[in-house]
Amino acid sequence: MATSPRGVVDHSALKVNQTGIVATVLVAFIGSAFFKPALVLIPLLAVVLLLGTFAPQLALFKQLYFKVLKPRGIVRPRVVQDRPEPHNFAQGLGGVFLVVSSAVLLPLPVVGLALALLVAVLAFINLAFGYCVGCQIYFQLGRAGFIKATPGTTGTV
Amino acid sequence: MATQLWALAAAGAVVLVAAGLELWRSRHARARAVGLTAPTTAGDIEPYILYFTGENCSVCRTHQEPALAKLAGVRIDKVDAIAERELSDRFHVYTLPTTVVMSGEGKSLNVNYGYAPATKLERQLADARGANLRVSATA
Repeated sequence: MATSPRGVVDHSALKVNQTGIVATVLVAFIGSAFFKPALVLIPLLAVVLLLGTFAPQLALFKQLYFKVLKPRGIVRPRVVQDRPEPHNFAQGLGGVFLVVSSAVLLPLPVVGLALALLVAVLAFINLAFGYCVGCQIYFQLGRAGFIKATPGTTGTV
Repeated sequence: MATQLWALAAAGAVVLVAAGLELWRSRHARARAVGLTAPTTAGDIEPYILYFTGENCSVCRTHQEPALAKLAGVRIDKVDAIAERELSDRFHVYTLPTTVVMSGEGKSLNVNYGYAPATKLERQLADARGANLRVSATA
């Protein structure tokens, strides 16, 4: 699990997840130029992301981190006081984009591949610069009242 | 291969358009937010920072708060962007974190949408102190 009830998130798990997304889309994108069936990785990634959003124990890349990379010391944990909801929302949004991408891959391959690439670009931006577009959308939805906002604090740091 | 190239071009075009729109929007919002006023403590002459954050903002905790902690002796007013809707709307806060450098009189001088490193905030605070000195010298 990437989180605990006390509101901490292991950001290394998130980074591994983002790396997995970028790598899978790139393999599908480049591979499909030579071997068309490589495109099947895109719907598979959509399933992985959506499963991981609703059942964290099924999040493939995060489980790879928790079961293999972290115990063997390959990736060091980076636990930060944080909330998991925006990250889960961002992952789910990526999954939905990939579902749409998968649905149009055969009739409109350019659109399908472009959507998948956009998901990879957003994951890369989060991985490299720490800017999570999905989290900003989550914030905007919270402001608009579509998502129940958790009470925060106002005061002096 | 042509499909991949077209897809790359389409994705690149979307990214460029989105980045351009974001740049335009943040410039536009910054221009409207500079010069606005916020409540301040009577008698304060030192510039301070309005720090808009939220429970769900990761970058706030991992980047912005450590940067703010480096600014020794600077008053930082933490504002929950969702709870304080009116104030965040007034400063056009659409991204978290947002930091606003305020003059001692409570007038916004610089608005930073997104993470602002300590060096940038220090420079803006130094400019704000310089502006305060010029105002006092003129008065």
